[in-house]
Amino acid sequence: MRNGGRPRDPRAESPGSALYASCKDAPPAERALSGRGHRLSALVLSVALLLLVLPGCHRGDRIVVGSKNFTESDLLGEIVAQQIERRTALPVERRFHLGGTFVCHQAITSGQIDLYVEYTGTAYTAVLQHAPVADRDSVYRTVARDYTQRFGLVWGTPFGFNNTFAITVRHRDATRYGLKRISDLARLAPRWKAGFGYEFLERADGFRGLASVYGLRFASPPTAMDLGLTYRALAEGKVDVIAGNSTDGQIQALDLVVLEDDRQYFPPYEAAPVIRQAALTRHSGVAGALAQLAGRISDAEMRRLNALVDVEHRDIATIARDWLRATLP
Amino acid sequence: MSLWDFYARNSQEVLGLVGQHLYLVAISTGAAIAIGVPLGVLLTRRPAWRGPVLGVANVFQTVPSLALFGFLIPLPFIGGIGATTAIVALVLYALLPIVRNSYEGVAGVDPAVREAGRGMGMTDWQLLTLVELPLGFGVILAGVRVATVVSVGTATIAAAIGAGGLGVYIFRGVAVVDDTLILAGALPAALMALAADGLLGVAERRFAWRVR
Repeated sequence: MRNGGRPRDPRAESPGSALYASCKDAPPAERALSGRGHRLSALVLSVALLLLVLPGCHRGDRIVVGSKNFTESDLLGEIVAQQIERRTALPVERRFHLGGTFVCHQAITSGQIDLYVEYTGTAYTAVLQHAPVADRDSVYRTVARDYTQRFGLVWGTPFGFNNTFAITVRHRDATRYGLKRISDLARLAPRWKAGFGYEFLERADGFRGLASVYGLRFASPPTAMDLGLTYRALAEGKVDVIAGNSTDGQIQALDLVVLEDDRQYFPPYEAAPVIRQAALTRHSGVAGALAQLAGRISDAEMRRLNALVDVEHRDIATIARDWLRATLP
Repeated sequence: MSLWDFYARNSQEVLGLVGQHLYLVAISTGAAIAIGVPLGVLLTRRPAWRGPVLGVANVFQTVPSLALFGFLIPLPFIGGIGATTAIVALVLYALLPIVRNSYEGVAGVDPAVREAGRGMGMTDWQLLTLVELPLGFGVILAGVRVATVVSVGTATIAAAIGAGGLGVYIFRGVAVVDDTLILAGALPAALMALAADGLLGVAERRFAWRVR
């Protein structure tokens, strides 16, 4: 092995070579492998090259749509995917239910997906790390500008709804204590238990800011848990207040009440498609297809669609198809 | 912020979470052994139960943790939010390797040896404690080893139900797009899994050597 080894069929040298032939813009670094007989390093290199080349190579004639790991993101991803299928001849590949903002952002900046639906407030605070502000237009403008400059990503026009954090309590408690606004919560907080998702506890526009703006002091620090489980915990009386998402179908289904953000603490979270500049340039019809979805989904409409999935357990693809047929015949 | 800066600045918190993580793994693995080993041995006495029991243990493996937590929240005593629920879930996940290996370990004892024991007039209990368990111990320990290593990794999901542990950093990091935070949780968990695997591996070899 060390002294060069046996002569080998050069075609069998590396599994990467065949792929290079089919990929126009691949670098000619392949040759470096065949000189010495270090079979192991050649193998390692070819695997590495394969990994580098594969994502860039098999693209071009299709578009990959991603989504985050919750119902609304899956639903919007499916609507966008079907809309592209309806309006262009492009095959669409779905990579849904990816593990949250982090994974989607990594996937789209590295070119694993071409498109996913993001929220302006999330991009503004969690990805770009700006301090939260309440003005809807300035958030959208900043996000659109920074995404183009920093990541080569384009923001489409928002769908029309705002999925903000929803400080949520049981309907029974809201009636008993006359709770309508988040400010009403301050006097009850010292006797109540809160359960929040990690995102809400961690984000700049999350719990810490909320607590100081509204003067909320809970008896014990809020329990940190998975967002989906917080609804369950609230409905079962294990906690008394949670931060859900205002368009969640669970809110009505579990007889919960959303308190009004009377001091306008939360920034806007308008959903809009984020797409790779390169994909937009390559596939001219996509921009037009996405533009038709602009402003088409209100808060109430989104809540209704989410409830169809979460409460009535209907199939996402069917819901998306029916909705598109009814809205954009 | 680099990982080391993070650890230097939050050393108290890191140690606390490592402690919680160890607690979750120790209690759940301990409980899984207490339930799983007798259950596995019982299956060698009641072969007809083997299919159903291992089937149920198998099913627990396939239930996603969040779904399992969802089912557990409304239950009294073993449910709710916090460490108890997390431990119940971890026990259910750890059962399969322990039950299976306990069964295999005891059932795999050479029938000739067992016959010899009976020939010497051993009772069933003596046969179990003096012959079958000592001979099957290596295999049982291997099951415990797998269960422990897997538990160290699985215990990160305890953070989804307010039970703390190193998963807290992973969940927080994933929520806010922060690689450092994710690594801050994942790295000690990985080291802990390697350490557990190494220690139990040494114990396993020691024991195998002594039996021979």
